[in-house]
Amino acid sequence: MTTGGWITMILSVGFVTVLFIYCVCRVLFGKPPDE
Amino acid sequence: MPQSKEVWTSRLGVILAVAGSAVGLGNFLRFPGLAAQYGGASFMIAYFLSLLLLGIPIGWAEWTMGRQGGLAGYHSSPGIFHATVRHPLGKYLGLLGFIIPVVVYMYYVYIEAWCLGYALNAATGTFSVAGVDYGQFFATFTGAGADGVALHFGLHDVGLFVLIVYACNFYFIFQGLSKGIEFVCKWGMPILILIALIILARVLTLGTPDAAKPGQNVLNGLGFMWNPRDVAAGLKNPQLWLAAAGQIFFSLSVGFGAIITYASYLKKKDDVVLSSLTAAACNEFCEVGLGGLITVPAAFVFLGAAGIVGQGTFGLGFNVLPFVFSKMPFGDFFATIFYLLLFLAAITSSLSMLQPGIVFFEEGLGLGRKAAMGCLALLTGLGTLMVWWFSKDLKALDTIDFWIGTVGIFIQGMILIIVYAWHIGIEEAWRETHAGAAMRIPGFYQPVMRYIAPTFLLVVFVLFIAANVFGWNFSFGAAAKFTPTNYVTDLVGPKASAVARGSFAFMTAVILLIAWLIHRAGLNWARQSKGNHP
Repeated sequence: MTTGGWITMILSVGFVTVLFIYCVCRVLFGKPPDE
Repeated sequence: MPQSKEVWTSRLGVILAVAGSAVGLGNFLRFPGLAAQYGGASFMIAYFLSLLLLGIPIGWAEWTMGRQGGLAGYHSSPGIFHATVRHPLGKYLGLLGFIIPVVVYMYYVYIEAWCLGYALNAATGTFSVAGVDYGQFFATFTGAGADGVALHFGLHDVGLFVLIVYACNFYFIFQGLSKGIEFVCKWGMPILILIALIILARVLTLGTPDAAKPGQNVLNGLGFMWNPRDVAAGLKNPQLWLAAAGQIFFSLSVGFGAIITYASYLKKKDDVVLSSLTAAACNEFCEVGLGGLITVPAAFVFLGAAGIVGQGTFGLGFNVLPFVFSKMPFGDFFATIFYLLLFLAAITSSLSMLQPGIVFFEEGLGLGRKAAMGCLALLTGLGTLMVWWFSKDLKALDTIDFWIGTVGIFIQGMILIIVYAWHIGIEEAWRETHAGAAMRIPGFYQPVMRYIAPTFLLVVFVLFIAANVFGWNFSFGAAAKFTPTNYVTDLVGPKASAVARGSFAFMTAVILLIAWLIHRAGLNWARQSKGNHP
């Protein structure tokens, strides 16, 4: 595994994981939209 | 139109249902193979750009149009386009949104049966018997070796499992939206992610299983998948862009006809922006975060690069991986849960393929739920029987998958984004999308949805047809060559395949039948609106 491989993997997996967790938290704990 | 009584019981329910529709075999088998083939970084750059410029915006458009159609009382794709476009021909723009899920279901249920069958065979130790020929098992089990051989009903045949998955799918569909689809997805998706995490932990702790082959270790397996090659050269390769954009498009199930139907059960002030993004994020997490770390590294550790290169989705999943699991400690257990994972991914997708068909028969032709299910079971059953019997080289499956499950989705996706951004108009569509939204879409997405997404999709589609139908070699001038692919030579010319021709004729007949049914539905809808507005 080269340094480039580590960077590609961490950025790719990290991006989708953070996006998923952020979205789920917004859905579960976010304020309901204004009527 | 009378309002449907069916509703989602929770916001998470509809998100998981859409995510369940999107997460399928492609997440765990197709994506890793493509990323490894095109070399880590360059593929991922094209992949994420396609996600941001194609997948996510078309998803927002589909959710919005679905909710809008649902508020007008329609839940099927033809009905939603009928309500949105407000032109006598508008309903036909939704034709593919009905045809695609119904026709894809015909063969997808067959693959779903493989997953269940492989899970049960793994649980009973079939794959760990010394000397078992995995290629031969696959050929016999799926019928890829010869026509008609898969129509048997033992443990080592697919027949019994086709019947079980058909019964399961129609049972859950009969239970309705919340008690059937939402129930399965609310349980199925978390279990799927949990299983994937367990398998991921196993794969990442494999180390170097064979001391005689120190190069075949987990780190090198991850490197095979993620190490960047020449990034600049990769990004100049149109085939890489085609593979990345195609993977995003098919993986997210946009233009498939399922999301538009699911979103039609939302209420006026239900959020679509965050919900759509969350469903897409869930799909991406399963694909990149889980699928990207499991399949290829596991195969590499036991087989090296030579065992992976050239394997397609089915080859990797049903030939290579049973062998890989057989070499692992507790391999039977991990093989069982892996194929269960694929089965869960498949059943949540197959349910999403049935709902658009059922709801069309109900709202378009006025049938009750049982009658609608009967019609759909008959229609899809005929198709499945054809795929099941004419299974040699999976020719019937492959033909239908290409013309309907691939070409059709491109066309429907294009129709969706054009109707959203140009017919409804980006300003009004933007307001509609943001009604009840839990978050704002960044403003730059307006030109993206109006200009970039349709253009990007058109370019990808033209490249796709040029490469996969006309066999273009991606060269220009004197070096340009066109060698028609097997999707053409199977249908015309001296090497034509009777099975491919028969499958194509069957698809044409189904399209004509459905077009006629949509015509009948249009007459009913016109009568109903005259009744409502004397």
